[in-house]
Amino acid sequence: MWQAILLKEWLKLRWTLAALLVVHLGLLAYLGLALRYQFQVEHSEMIWYWAFELRRLLHTPLQYLPAVTGAALALAQFGPERLHGRFRLSLHLPVRADLLVWSWLAVGALLGAALSALDAIGLYGLIGLWFPREAAASAVLTALPWLLAGWVAYCGATLALLEPAWPRRLAYLGVSLAFVGLLFQERGYQEYDLVMPALLLLALLYVPAVILPAHRYRHQASL
Amino acid sequence: MLVVFRLACSQIDTEHGMSPVRPLPPESAIEIDAITHRYGQRTLYRNLSLTITKGRVVALLGKNGVGKTTLIRLLMGFLRPSSGHCRVLGQDSHALSPATRARIGLLFEGHLTQDYMSIAQIERYHRPFYPGWRAELYYDLVDRMGLSRNHKIAQMSCGQRSQVVLGLIFAQNPELMILDDYSMGLDAGYRRLFLDYLAAYLGEGGKTVFLTSHVVQDMEVLVDEVVFLQRGGEILQMPLAEFRHSFRCFAFSLPASAQPPAADAIIHNPDVFARPPRLYSFAERDQVARHLAARCPEIALGEELPMTLEDAFIGLTGKY
Repeated sequence: MWQAILLKEWLKLRWTLAALLVVHLGLLAYLGLALRYQFQVEHSEMIWYWAFELRRLLHTPLQYLPAVTGAALALAQFGPERLHGRFRLSLHLPVRADLLVWSWLAVGALLGAALSALDAIGLYGLIGLWFPREAAASAVLTALPWLLAGWVAYCGATLALLEPAWPRRLAYLGVSLAFVGLLFQERGYQEYDLVMPALLLLALLYVPAVILPAHRYRHQASL
Repeated sequence: MLVVFRLACSQIDTEHGMSPVRPLPPESAIEIDAITHRYGQRTLYRNLSLTITKGRVVALLGKNGVGKTTLIRLLMGFLRPSSGHCRVLGQDSHALSPATRARIGLLFEGHLTQDYMSIAQIERYHRPFYPGWRAELYYDLVDRMGLSRNHKIAQMSCGQRSQVVLGLIFAQNPELMILDDYSMGLDAGYRRLFLDYLAAYLGEGGKTVFLTSHVVQDMEVLVDEVVFLQRGGEILQMPLAEFRHSFRCFAFSLPASAQPPAADAIIHNPDVFARPPRLYSFAERDQVARHLAARCPEIALGEELPMTLEDAFIGLTGKY
């Protein structure tokens, strides 16, 4: 049964996933080329000064990629469920609705996590080509809020797509956009280190929250 | 498979347009208890009650917009009525357990399906959910389209998509089928094939079917009971045989100066646009003649006219 659920999610997500993979690899390649170009046209001391004295981020091309990825995954996964009310087909399957929705969320989250891991490893490797290991680790820690924004964007878009009532849908979008905005306030390296555990716990509230729109969809007063 | 069909179909008494006599267990498959439902200011039903006994084939008939699809949504718990409640296979519509849902084959309006899948993928997807899955029934139906099993459902015509969805429901082998407008998009040949399959399915015993369709003539050889749903939520439920026996159509002649008879307790629905003009009634000819003589003496009642089920449906619900 779980294999069948996995099959359906894979069929919905595979082309989006392939396109996202190309975009992620392309942006990592772009970041590598941009860094290489910087070191060719500027003195190394100057780049060091920008990065670690002026605290300018060198890896901003990746900044919004996880959020866009999260929203794209949710759209590919839950857009078809939403279209023509196909969500009803799944809700009639002989499986508990909450487990079904959580399994969908797990599939999307795992794929998003795989792309995030690719970004983090790529970032660590690219920064590590020109800077010491500590700088590479710092770049990844600095990017953690952006990766968390990917999860928030994924869950926010999921809530909005599953929710049957427009006012609630807009409320979910508003709250999620505000949360995503909160994760892009840094101006230097590792500014979120202390607050990240709290933000992570807050973001995990999306896990029980996705059950609510599914329940409302199943038992709504009117369509 | 066709042998199975022929055996099942041979049991159908087509002469009288009746389904074969099947033992009728007393339990109800569907209970709708005094539901009221509104869309905004419009009341679709008020205190509507309906019971479908297990083992019966029941058609829900009504004109466009009377709320047939809404009733099915209410039944399956996708809508909550303003008051009253529905039970399906003994469980509240809003608390159907996964095990009970597995016993219900549900056809959503418009043959809704996961059309991003192929013929083979959608079968593979549904198979693990149903312990009594019969893939051979599904493939027997869909292979008749002559399409590759890798063909995407999204690239099919409406009728071909219908074949896929109905094939999935047969493969599920449910105890109760709820089919919302099963005939939509089907050509005449496939509709007949579907009816053959349905007859074979019913021949296995213990199966209940609750369906809606706009092809009323199919009901003649298929259903045990009819439920006519009228605007405002009034229903008329009776065995098909009783309806065919008791609902009558009479020709009448109307002088140019005379007013056409109005509908009342005896005259169900006068149709002055038909040639010859006709009126419909549950009363016998003598009673209708006496009634007309008393109320509209200028109108001469003619002979009782033969009717198909579709004629009777239009006679009962009106053309417009």
